[in-house]
Amino acid sequence: MITGLLLNIIICFAITISSLTFAFVLACNGGEHSEKSKPALWALVAFWTLVGATYLPTTIRMIAAYMGKPTIDTIMYNISAIPFAFISVPLVFFIMYVMIGNKNISKYVSFIFTIFGAAYLSLFYSSGAIGPQVTELSSIFIVNSDIAIQIYLMGLFVFPTAMILGLLLLMFITRSMTISIHRTVLPLVAISFVFDFILTDFITAVDVIQITSRVFVLVGTVQAFLAYFPQTVFNDRFSAKNNVETCETDENDKTEYEDNIDG
Amino acid sequence: MSEDIDVELEQEVAEFYQSLGINQGPGDIQYRLILKVLEKNDPDITKFSDIRKYTDQFADRGSIGSKMKTVFQLEGLVKKVKRGGYVITDKGLMAAGFLRTTTTFYKKTKRMGEIIERMP
Repeated sequence: MITGLLLNIIICFAITISSLTFAFVLACNGGEHSEKSKPALWALVAFWTLVGATYLPTTIRMIAAYMGKPTIDTIMYNISAIPFAFISVPLVFFIMYVMIGNKNISKYVSFIFTIFGAAYLSLFYSSGAIGPQVTELSSIFIVNSDIAIQIYLMGLFVFPTAMILGLLLLMFITRSMTISIHRTVLPLVAISFVFDFILTDFITAVDVIQITSRVFVLVGTVQAFLAYFPQTVFNDRFSAKNNVETCETDENDKTEYEDNIDG
Repeated sequence: MSEDIDVELEQEVAEFYQSLGINQGPGDIQYRLILKVLEKNDPDITKFSDIRKYTDQFADRGSIGSKMKTVFQLEGLVKKVKRGGYVITDKGLMAAGFLRTTTTFYKKTKRMGEIIERMP
């Protein structure tokens, strides 16, 4: 019995369930959002659905590896490559729409990323993957094409990550009291987290790195969930309302000078 | 400076600063427009009629004249060179530069507000 693989199965299953549930809950709460934010919301729903769709076959793949079925492992790896190739499309739409507010431009730019994804897929399927190599912790495949990995890195991941970092930087430069930290910055950090560790998960040839990446993907998903549906502790600590309240003076906080005047 | 003065933008910016409790200087549409016209005409003489072309929809002749005297002339932002003719001073150009930064700040804040609005 390989406990490392069992742990891997549980992590993959947790990512699948949490990201799909998150996408579902976001879609159900669509009515609460303004018309201006709805296109970005649907892009987010698509993004988290694709994360779930990537990790669902990966979960089955890990179960197959655990049970010693390399054929199912390979089939599931090929299936999981499809949602993975297009994961940057809704993300690019989300970032572009939030930054410039133009739906058409966002569509055109995300279409370019769809082409990138399709190019990656065609290279991936034509070159194939080497594996599976089942270890104590995971089942590893290596993409048999350097060009595919280049497209991966440059097209699908570097640009969207740079966009997220740019947006975060813009938010930090123009700091505003009205910005609720958990609602704006936390989702972006979470998306960046998930996005980058999915990449690491797919290109690494080391099982420890792969399982660590998956743990971070899970952490990112939970982080995003907390950003949109914060617990009371988060609300109290990070909300803008709280910041304003703490600035108000208390009757007991009167200075000695004020006491003398009242006196 | 020969760029056109966007009266609507100036009004928006002034209203923004008024909403922050700044009613004078950057939050005063008359102050903004007068300074903009003076800066635009620099180094030529700005006639009273040049200013009124922009300010008539916001203020009457008397209040502009009074502002020219009590703010611009008194603080040395303009120099009266003839009857109804003014030239902006170095101090006035400094104030105009500050006014530009207030417009930039407004645009930045507005853009950030729109970005936050689009975030689900």
